[in-house]
Amino acid sequence: MSQPTSRLNQRQREEAISQQQSAQNTAALEFAAAEEMLRHDAGQIPVPPTVAERLQKSVASEPAPPKSWWRRLLKS
Amino acid sequence: MSALITETPVEPLPETSSPATSVQRVPLEPPELEAIYEEHSRPIFYLALRILGDPTQAEDATHDVFLKAYRKLGEFKGNSSIRTWLYRITINHCQNLLQTWHRRNIHGTDDETFWERAVGPGDSPLRVLETKELGQRIQKSLDALPEGYRLLLLLVADEKLSYDEVGALTNQSSDAVRGKLHRARKTFAAAFHQTA
Repeated sequence: MSQPTSRLNQRQREEAISQQQSAQNTAALEFAAAEEMLRHDAGQIPVPPTVAERLQKSVASEPAPPKSWWRRLLKS
Repeated sequence: MSALITETPVEPLPETSSPATSVQRVPLEPPELEAIYEEHSRPIFYLALRILGDPTQAEDATHDVFLKAYRKLGEFKGNSSIRTWLYRITINHCQNLLQTWHRRNIHGTDDETFWERAVGPGDSPLRVLETKELGQRIQKSLDALPEGYRLLLLLVADEKLSYDEVGALTNQSSDAVRGKLHRARKTFAAAFHQTA
């Protein structure tokens, strides 16, 4: 009688260990507020390089802007 | 789809979130435009992405915003920061697009009290498994919010903006921003938990 019980206990122990390991492997994040989650999300999303490429082509076909604004802009 | 809300022990968020891999690209000319683009393109793209809900349209919008900025830089008075100025162009541009597409009737609701009444965990911590689906859930939650709440949360998420600047961009006082922020957080949390 004792052998089946022992086997059952061993299986239960193995299942418990397996569940414990599974829980430990479950990576989770906690955010205290919505904006914190959005901040994290924003940090994961790069700007596609095609945007800069298209912008460069568009700017190349534009008339040169007045030079004075650059100086004012960089001071702000 | 597996459940994303977990009651398993939660690891605290690292001090600094891991940034997305920087993408190699040819620097823009003139160098001043490159400097502005390098510093501000990510928050501008993110704002456009989350307002429009579509990566391709967000790319187009980001291109258009910086091109408009390039054309109008001569009119920039320096009364606000460049970031705030670019955000204003982005918000106007995206709102015009949304009006054109009549998407306002498809996404979200202007009935702010609807979501405030929704049963939800309020200001409880938002727990999620780290997954690619996080962005999709965030988008669904934002789409379900009244436009004012959506924009408020997106702007407040940018730590470089003060409440005064957020107020200026949303046409309200900084006190009103603080007051609405609590309700916006609560409403987002309720919407987010409904996406699980």
